[in-house]
Amino acid sequence: MTRTLLPSAVLAVSLAAGCAQGIADRDGADVHFDADSPVAGALNVMGFAAQDEIGQTRLDAAGEAMPDVDVSLVEGELDVQQFMSAVSTGEPPDLIYANRDQIGTFASRGAIMPLDDCLDGEGIDIGLFREPAVAQVSFGDSVYGVPEFNQVQITMANADLLAEAGLDVADVNGSDWEAVTAANRELHHTEDDGLSVIGFDSKLPEFLPLWAKANGADLLSADGRTAHLDDPAVIEALEFAVAIYEEQGGFGAVKALRDSADFFGSGNQFASGSLGAMPFEQWYVNILNDVSPDAPLAFDTFRDRRGEPLAFASGSAWAIPEGSANPQAACRFLKTMTATDTWLAAAQARADARAEEGKPFTGLLTCNVEADAQIRDRFVDETTDSVWAEAVTATYTANAHTFSLPANPADAEFEAAWQDAVNRVLNGEAAPAEALREAQTVAQEALDTAWAQWAQR
Amino acid sequence: MTASASAGERRPARPRRRVARWLVGIALTAISLAFVYPFVWLISASFKPRGEVFDNRILPETFTFDNYLSVWQEAPLALWLANTAFVTVLATVCVTLTSTLVAWGFAYYEFPGRDLLFWLLLGSMMLPGAVTMIPVFLIWNQLDQVGTLTPLWAQNLFGSAFYVFLLRQFFRGLPRSVFEAATVDGASAWTLFRRIALPLSKPALVVTAVFEFQAVWTDLMRPLIYLRDSDTFTVPRGLKAMLDQFGFGGQWHWELVVTAGVVTTVPVVVLFFIAQRHIVRGITAGGGVR
Amino acid sequence: MGAAVRAARRRSVRPRLAPWLFIAPWLLGFAVFTAWPVLYSGYLSLTDYDVVNDPNFVGFDNYVRMFEDPKVGLALWNTFVYTVVQVPLYVLVSLALALLLNRAGRGAGWFRTAFLLPKMTPPVAVGVLVLLLLNGQQGALNEFLGWFGIDGPNWTTDSAWVKPGLILMSLWTVGSSVLILLAALRAVPEELYDAAVIDGASGWYRTTRITVPMISPALFFVVVVNTIGAFQTFTEAYTAYFGAGNSTYGNDAALFYVIYLFQQGFEFFHMGYASAMAWLLFLVVAVITAVQLVVSRRLVHYEGDR
Repeated sequence: MTRTLLPSAVLAVSLAAGCAQGIADRDGADVHFDADSPVAGALNVMGFAAQDEIGQTRLDAAGEAMPDVDVSLVEGELDVQQFMSAVSTGEPPDLIYANRDQIGTFASRGAIMPLDDCLDGEGIDIGLFREPAVAQVSFGDSVYGVPEFNQVQITMANADLLAEAGLDVADVNGSDWEAVTAANRELHHTEDDGLSVIGFDSKLPEFLPLWAKANGADLLSADGRTAHLDDPAVIEALEFAVAIYEEQGGFGAVKALRDSADFFGSGNQFASGSLGAMPFEQWYVNILNDVSPDAPLAFDTFRDRRGEPLAFASGSAWAIPEGSANPQAACRFLKTMTATDTWLAAAQARADARAEEGKPFTGLLTCNVEADAQIRDRFVDETTDSVWAEAVTATYTANAHTFSLPANPADAEFEAAWQDAVNRVLNGEAAPAEALREAQTVAQEALDTAWAQWAQR
Repeated sequence: MTASASAGERRPARPRRRVARWLVGIALTAISLAFVYPFVWLISASFKPRGEVFDNRILPETFTFDNYLSVWQEAPLALWLANTAFVTVLATVCVTLTSTLVAWGFAYYEFPGRDLLFWLLLGSMMLPGAVTMIPVFLIWNQLDQVGTLTPLWAQNLFGSAFYVFLLRQFFRGLPRSVFEAATVDGASAWTLFRRIALPLSKPALVVTAVFEFQAVWTDLMRPLIYLRDSDTFTVPRGLKAMLDQFGFGGQWHWELVVTAGVVTTVPVVVLFFIAQRHIVRGITAGGGVR
Repeated sequence: MGAAVRAARRRSVRPRLAPWLFIAPWLLGFAVFTAWPVLYSGYLSLTDYDVVNDPNFVGFDNYVRMFEDPKVGLALWNTFVYTVVQVPLYVLVSLALALLLNRAGRGAGWFRTAFLLPKMTPPVAVGVLVLLLLNGQQGALNEFLGWFGIDGPNWTTDSAWVKPGLILMSLWTVGSSVLILLAALRAVPEELYDAAVIDGASGWYRTTRITVPMISPALFFVVVVNTIGAFQTFTEAYTAYFGAGNSTYGNDAALFYVIYLFQQGFEFFHMGYASAMAWLLFLVVAVITAVQLVVSRRLVHYEGDR
């Protein structure tokens, strides 16, 4: 029995082993993109999830633009294990929808193709898209993704708490760090059983890039090759943001109170008066408007130390995997999804839906500069005297003053390095300067290795 | 004096038993509260509107069916349930049958290389799934089964190390004398297995089936990797797709997450409640053994 | 399988073949779905495989790098500490609950179901609940401790309390082990107890001298499987401290081995390195399991071995 079993097992093994491959044959060069030639066939899209009215309207538009293409969606957000499994077989999906900060990793490994020919052939003007977003999807001399949606931070504050302390939203918008520190001291409140009101939440670890940039420093050089984590300005930014927590009894106390609040509900920190101010992403304005429309709120942009508006951009992007079976249809699809007219139709649908619910339309940040301007112009009402109008204005201002981390082949490792450093400081395991110096070594090593490997390919 | 004392000690034995039973009941009730809590929380939250999901009340302040309606309307739940049931039943039946056979082979017989093979079986549980995932995916791709439901259950045709180990432990715990008597009577290996080993191990078989049912029913990773078309989705895979659709940037609709959780969990709980009574019947003194 | 069964019947006269027929399905599955992936991952551990491109052979570079990577040491240490504390606690609690359940009269079915509920609740919901319950400020756990005048720690942020918190929460899933032990308890012939009762043996004596030895095969199973499982701890700690939640806050105290392995493989695309890490883990777990097996020869009583 063993004698008959073993050979068959060996056979099975060798059969299976024969099929392991990467994306071996890369003959993307002879793919021809042309806006005038019809596209047909099947188009398998992975990672596109937004089936709300904005997603659906645009999907319909894409269907109309290419009637002969059979679009199938692998529903759900792009899961990296799912995508990588597909890539490992050499038969990836035809188009993916990913986070912009994943593009550098995918591009440097050759998992997605440069879009130069696609952009040229279909006549997509990449100059129409927000520059920091394009920087996130550009690698080497090529663009690898077409960006959409922009998430930006604005200052959100509790107007009542500010007024009681004799403060103004300008004191907590980041333009004057001494003022922020002083406001935090005034606003936070401690009772017998611990912290009861968070004065200011500097939102570490996620917002270190924002504080660093506000202090004039980039975490990473524009070419994505040199880390600046131990730059004195970065260290100073971290020291400042951490001191905000220390003033209130440490990060543990702040996080415990923050987590105990009902973030998405009517018991959120602003409605319950347990938070003075924080910088946060604009989408939260919609939540606040939904669940606590009467909360005493005040909004402004987040500002750098010179008083200029500033925001750290993130969002999604379309990219075509290397080995896509139908790149022409993929290109036409992404062109339609991100076209100005498509966005306008989507904004119309959203504005209608909001009006039906009796709620204000708080804008839509598309990454398409032209679409942003027209949507703001046509659908957004900023004239009413309400805090929500202030929020919308702040959001659009922030949208025009964004920065981003450039794409690089080690973006996940780079991010992990600085986040680890911040977490170690927050957990009281290291001082800011020490943690960032160590992170600098780790990050630079990862970058050097990844760039060297990229150069070899 | 001494005699009456010892008699007095003997007599309260019965009431003491009753007291003990009460104490056991009270202890179990207290402990089970901690175990029931997450599920009660989940069910309660599924009847709350978005803004109240995390208010930590056991009874919803505002009672609503909307979450169930949204889940029902947005998703082809009937189809997904059918897919899940198909995969789960096949997977459970296969793994229970095969693992039992294999475990019997390991437990009852002595043969050259047995210990080595058993060691390999244990070893196969020690490598984290994250690294074998892609090679296994490549095999299914080579067999042209990616995108179908097959990879979700067919591996169970070959048994599973976990259950083989579990059942082998049970079989080895059975008194050998039982089998030797039967062997003398001329019973074949198959008869020994079917007539004696299987009935005696019923609690363990039920445990195996229940565990596998639960694991496959709620599995997300394999459906996520292998399924493409929403017509083939299982319930957890479909619900993930649905939940991802609502907004972006961390705007989780927790009220739908919890509702989806209830929808996925309830069938398993009901099934377990029905199946668990079969664990009760074990070996009673001498019964069925001789 | 039907064929194997028929074959088993026909050839039962040749008992030497019977065991092979019984284990044949597993052998076949092992060859295709386990042996090859395992060997292949061994090969990948000697390459720079990044999933996208063909693997290049790099010799033992990955293994050398592992010894220079302080995070591998940290993750291994975290995992070791977690396992050493969690497994004994988990097994004891399982045994205690199983013994209690075994004596429950009416309502036993209800309790059996209750103990298994957290195991059946989707991990994503449990992950959120963990953070709510362990909250240092208003979490139910600290509220409970407050009744006894204990000022509970910040379970989710205080590095010294992160692992204890996770261990405590892991006890929520003892249901499956309880069930296994309960099934084993049900297989203990009652006549053994009857004899002991006649001899006037105390409850404690019966438990330690009859019950525990008689269910020692199942106990052994629970210990081995949970040790392997503890070394591979992933989901709970990952969703609570490293997954894509609302915050990217993390804590090194919760950096378990498989979490770091996952980061290397699927976040950093160092699949070769992750494979090497998997093999190191395999080695460590194999040694520990081997020790358990050797020790078990003295402690585990198989009724079938007489």
